[in-house]
Amino acid sequence: MSLVEFSGDVFLVAFFLYCFSFLFYVIAVTGKRWSGREPREHERRWGKIAFVVSLAGLAAHLAFFFTRWAGSGQIPTSNMYEFMTFLAMAIMIAFTIVFAIYRKPLLGMFAVPLTIIIVAYASVFPSEVQPLIPALESIWLKVHVTTAALGEAFFAVGFAAGLMYLLRVIDFKDTSKSGRKAQRWVEFTLYTILVIVGFLIAVFAFRGAGYEATFTQEKLVIDSQGQQQDVKETVHYYLPPIVKPYNSQAESVEPFLGLDKPLLEAPSWMNGVNAGRKLNTVVWSIIAGTLLYGLLRLLFRKPLGAVIHPALEGVNPEDLDEISYRAIVIGFPVFTLGALIFAMIWAEKAWGRFWGWDPKEVWALITWLYYSAYLHFRLSRGWQGLPSAWLAVIGFVIVLFTLIGVNLIIAGLHSYAGV
Amino acid sequence: MLAVENTKCECGHQNAVGTVLCESCGKPLDAALQQSSEPLEMRYDGVARRSQKSNPAIIDRIWNFFSSVKIAIYLIVVTFVTAMLGTIYPQESSFINSFDATTYYEENYGTPGKIYYELGLSHTYESWWFIGLLVMIGTSLVICSLDRVLPLYRALQKQQIRKHHQFILRQKTVYRSEIAGDPKEWVEKFGAQLKRKGYKLHFEEGTGTALLAEKNRFSRWGPYINHIGLILFLLAVLARSIPGWQMDSYVSVPDGDTVPIAGTNYYVKSEKFNVEFYTDDELPEELKGTARAKKYETQAVLYKCVANCDDPLKEPELEEVMDHNIIVNDPLVYKGLKLYQFDFNLTPRLNAVSPILEDKRTGEIYGPFYLPMKNPELKHQLGPFTLEIRANYMEFALDSEGKPTTLSREPNAPAFIFSVKGPGLAEEGEPYIYFPMQKDKVKFAQDTINRELAGKIEIRVDGMENVDFSEATTHLNVRMDKALPYLWVGAVFSMVGLILGSYWQHRRIWLRVDGTELALGAHTNKNWFGMRSDVAGALKKIGVEIDPKTLDNGGNNA
Repeated sequence: MSLVEFSGDVFLVAFFLYCFSFLFYVIAVTGKRWSGREPREHERRWGKIAFVVSLAGLAAHLAFFFTRWAGSGQIPTSNMYEFMTFLAMAIMIAFTIVFAIYRKPLLGMFAVPLTIIIVAYASVFPSEVQPLIPALESIWLKVHVTTAALGEAFFAVGFAAGLMYLLRVIDFKDTSKSGRKAQRWVEFTLYTILVIVGFLIAVFAFRGAGYEATFTQEKLVIDSQGQQQDVKETVHYYLPPIVKPYNSQAESVEPFLGLDKPLLEAPSWMNGVNAGRKLNTVVWSIIAGTLLYGLLRLLFRKPLGAVIHPALEGVNPEDLDEISYRAIVIGFPVFTLGALIFAMIWAEKAWGRFWGWDPKEVWALITWLYYSAYLHFRLSRGWQGLPSAWLAVIGFVIVLFTLIGVNLIIAGLHSYAGV
Repeated sequence: MLAVENTKCECGHQNAVGTVLCESCGKPLDAALQQSSEPLEMRYDGVARRSQKSNPAIIDRIWNFFSSVKIAIYLIVVTFVTAMLGTIYPQESSFINSFDATTYYEENYGTPGKIYYELGLSHTYESWWFIGLLVMIGTSLVICSLDRVLPLYRALQKQQIRKHHQFILRQKTVYRSEIAGDPKEWVEKFGAQLKRKGYKLHFEEGTGTALLAEKNRFSRWGPYINHIGLILFLLAVLARSIPGWQMDSYVSVPDGDTVPIAGTNYYVKSEKFNVEFYTDDELPEELKGTARAKKYETQAVLYKCVANCDDPLKEPELEEVMDHNIIVNDPLVYKGLKLYQFDFNLTPRLNAVSPILEDKRTGEIYGPFYLPMKNPELKHQLGPFTLEIRANYMEFALDSEGKPTTLSREPNAPAFIFSVKGPGLAEEGEPYIYFPMQKDKVKFAQDTINRELAGKIEIRVDGMENVDFSEATTHLNVRMDKALPYLWVGAVFSMVGLILGSYWQHRRIWLRVDGTELALGAHTNKNWFGMRSDVAGALKKIGVEIDPKTLDNGGNNA
């Protein structure tokens, strides 16, 4: 067995350990009020078990990272699969650091599932080792990507704590206008997370079933001599095509529930590589996420926020506020260093300019400006607590857009990272 | 009549207008604030900022505007929102080829594209308003920092040790109890524990029953150091618009050629350009069969012109200064001049041929003679034949009137028109057109053009050894950026400031014992959790067990 294959196996081990750890965190937090238990003792014991299991998961994850590095001879951060697995690992590292400071098992209940989702998301992308293209052949690939991801991981922990804060303080019995508004937005946040889960379910279900559809797409490409050229490309779909690529013909479409031809066409302005397929995936994610959300609503017969809320009772919201703030404060310098300064040094070495207003660069700057605004807001009266928690949640949406959205929607120099 | 505010504290200290907490004893000055029991707002220790001066003049008003953190936040928000808008469609600057921006956006993106272009969002980052926003952020950075750092510095320089009860007990972290025994001894014992945690101790002189313990004051300067770094950075960015501070151009160098770098005194030669691709063995399944580049490399030599540089009639005298294999991520760097691998072209380019002349009537062969595409010798003597170049074309074509013309100055389809003199030919010479490349010879029907002369003589190349061509042309990006060192210095300052401000926190503990009554208040600029555990930890060491959480006096986590 080669090192790379071995690394794939330990990665799977890490994934399952994370799942168990999540389960134990849930037991630690929600099991406090089970009958015949001393709540403090219960939380302490199960919190410890959960933390040890999450540490074991992180150890397996680190083993994956380093064996893959050794086996392939290049740091595994060079494509979407590798980057996402690294980001998940960074979130676990950030979580471990913040947990070591505050020792709140509750944090695990929110940070670990985030890691699980990202690990699953990584597995959507092809996991083969791809040899480096010349642009990535640099020491800065190691330095820039890892530090940027670690900074973002702290923002992720800030997001987890912020979301917990919201679920903790928002009163689901409040029927005032502002109360309802807050409830709706929390519900929407949870729904969004379910859409991502829905995406994962859709991708893995159809992949398991071996679904495929093929299109040929005609594209006008302007080559380096300024000549327009018609290029024909074959686009493979692994989810039933609701949306077909712009300006394309169906080659073969396996029927699915009577769907044997695409219903819609992707708009022409979607520029990225395989934009049509990505749009189709988004549509599927929304469908699957909505179904999932509907099912959960049927099961619990109340808003999901109200389902989670009672588990958080007894938690001091100020602690959550401080954890969220602290995680972001810890992450901000790391992010500045990795995503801006190291990025500029590399850009200067590779392209001869430290800054070029490439979409990925602009979005890194936007993320940075956003969090600097957050840090200044914290200095102002009235912005602690609820508004801060919302800012932490929205901030992570911006981080995710920078990491994934830019590659999916906007083409640019970082487009090699898109799949 | 203007009301004169009494800013003198009961402790006798005269405070500046706008002071919230007495600079000396810490008692709130405002009557309403004195009545309340809410935790105090401790920003900048409650000292007056410059912007809180009474009777602002116009300069003060501008100062006040930029000194507001609220304005700073608005500026940041507006900047990142406009930056977002700029990424909706590609920026004009991202197109290397010339294109017509006036029509491009509408053609490709329809009406939204047109609006995008009309609003100037297609060049957001070069627009006056975006640069204006950056300049305003810079101004705000300077003024906000100056407005706060100086008063804060003063306040921290002259801290009084025994603070007012209102001040101590309205901190966010508070402990209050009765103590037994000698107060001085208690304070000393507690102080010793704090000292072990790295606090600096200041006991009240004489009594020894009041204590100020402080650590990591330097972390308060972190944000200001960061801001200095950011200002340096922004200034460096602006300095790049000074003429001569930066350069961004491209040179194309065919293999073996030496090309001047415009705007400099340098010449660059490409010994050879190489491109390597991964073999299928090195590629994973789904990439097999694709041309995945492994390496682009230009073996470059940099020359400096030492004489005859500006004289077009003389050959410039070159002196080699450096050779370097330029690859992506590894440019040639010489005294601030940088050459980057940018692009390449694998179309071979003909440099020279060494053709022979055959007298078809006798079968005799004369030559070969050397015929470079650029600057060939005008006259060649080959046995009894004389060749004189009448005209040469780099990219031969016929214009609308059927006359020969050239499409470019690159030897893509070279052609030579000779006037040939020799035995059996007209006295004044006969014209002969010669296409060195076989494809052109066929395309333009060389033999038909030359008519009967084609039957008498032929100029041709025998064998590839008589052809000199460049296999590839490398495109290099030439850069120079004098602002870079300043930029990096700014970045370093910024990082140092961020680290100081984020990973250390300024913690202060005030305590006073009046008789048996202990009042303890603690303040930090960040991380209250750590502040409370410091206090609880030190208390525990001297035998007072409390849950750190009980020290929390409410208020916000600033």
